Amino acid sequence: MKKLLNRVAVLAIAGTVSMGAQATTPEEDRNAFNKLYKWRFSGVPMEEFVNGAYAIDPIGRENWEAIEEFPPYEPFIDEGEVMWETPFANGKGYKDCFPDGPAIAGNYPHWDKEQGMVMTLPLALNQCREANGEKPLKYKKGSITNIVAYTAFQSRGQVTNVVIPDDDPRALAAYENGRKFYFTRRGQLNFSCSTCHLQNTGMKVRTEILSPTLGQTTHWPTYRSKWGTVGTLHRRFTGCNKNIRAKPFKAQGEQYRNLEYFLTYMSNGLELNGPGARK
Amino acid sequence: MQVNRLYSVLLVTALLGGGVGTTLAADAKAADPKVVEVQKMIDGAEKARKKAASVDSEWRDTGKFIKQAQAALKAGDYDKAMKLARKAEDEGNLGYQQGVSQQELHLPSYLKY
Ligand code: HEC
Repeated sequence: MKKLLNRVAVLAIAGTVSMGAQATTPEEDRNAFNKLYKWRFSGVPMEEFVNGAYAIDPIGRENWEAIEEFPPYEPFIDEGEVMWETPFANGKGYKDCFPDGPAIAGNYPHWDKEQGMVMTLPLALNQCREANGEKPLKYKKGSITNIVAYTAFQSRGQVTNVVIPDDDPRALAAYENGRKFYFTRRGQLNFSCSTCHLQNTGMKVRTEILSPTLGQTTHWPTYRSKWGTVGTLHRRFTGCNKNIRAKPFKAQGEQYRNLEYFLTYMSNGLELNGPGARK
Repeated sequence: MQVNRLYSVLLVTALLGGGVGTTLAADAKAADPKVVEVQKMIDGAEKARKKAASVDSEWRDTGKFIKQAQAALKAGDYDKAMKLARKAEDEGNLGYQQGVSQQELHLPSYLKY
């Protein structure tokens, strides 16, 4: 009941999400996603979804398993470890901001009540840099991917557990904005994320099999052969937006952070297995 | 020396060419009613682009078309500039309409609760 009241309050604030049949809770959303994918890929065990398209495409999987024998993301992990161990100019380092060590990916994204926004790992890392007088890193490629690769590797085996706290209605509003983004048609092609990754998941677009949304957030940063390097989740969002001929949004801007909040919540219960490798 | 000055002005103009709005070169030719007309079209396209962006629904290439239109205008290729400006304005309007049409969340029927 309290949940419901919260939701009504949020709807009143957000004003953009319609009421009635659309008023579903995050848990209901997640169950509906799970149900759809379980039905669509009935032979695929739940824990396999962390492998994206390779969970549902046996041929692609063979190539991928060969690639994983000599993981192309390894040098980035090593570089990231050096970054983690190297003090900033002021003598402090990432270690001082994250005293629990580098295995922290499972804590993100989370609702940051103080700042009133969704906090992601790359953003937290940059806030640490800036608090210590260092320049923030760019968010899509470059050395941000090293430090995120290192933390991702150290966090392997943690379980996705995004929480939407009850004590701040803005958290649920952020989740709902992310959900709205996911279902909103954009660009000249008039596609939403759900058109490809929910409705048509398993189908082919050119040479690629459309992966399920479930598990899409567990393995970042990801080495992509097409990129020839490692990129962040928000770089991938950018690519998917461009593919439908929509203007992408700013990496780590509010839209993509809220989207990440929603998307990661959908993968609650799945293991982290970053960094990843993809075609 | 004078010539050098002129070159640097031209260079700056070329560099700014990517920008939107009235530019040095356009100013210089502002007396030409055709230039004024095309510039108006480009400004209209830019307004439409911003409207689409205001509902988070700008299309990928609209801004690029506007820049290209501005460059074509500067190069004196009015037909090309007008064509691009028209295309960009259409895209801006369509993007805006699309954004408005998507303002309400509609969960798709294939997602069963
Ligand atoms: C035109 C269809 C299309 C649309 C629309 C689309 N994508 Fe994608 N997306 C792809 C393709 C193709 C790939 C690469 C194959 C794969 O892994 O699914 C991909 C990959 C991804 C991946 C990486 C998956 C992995 O395992 O590494 C993520 C994350 C992703 N998309 C998120 C999104 C989000 C969020 C949206 C909406 C903003 C979106 N996509 C919209 C086609 C699309």
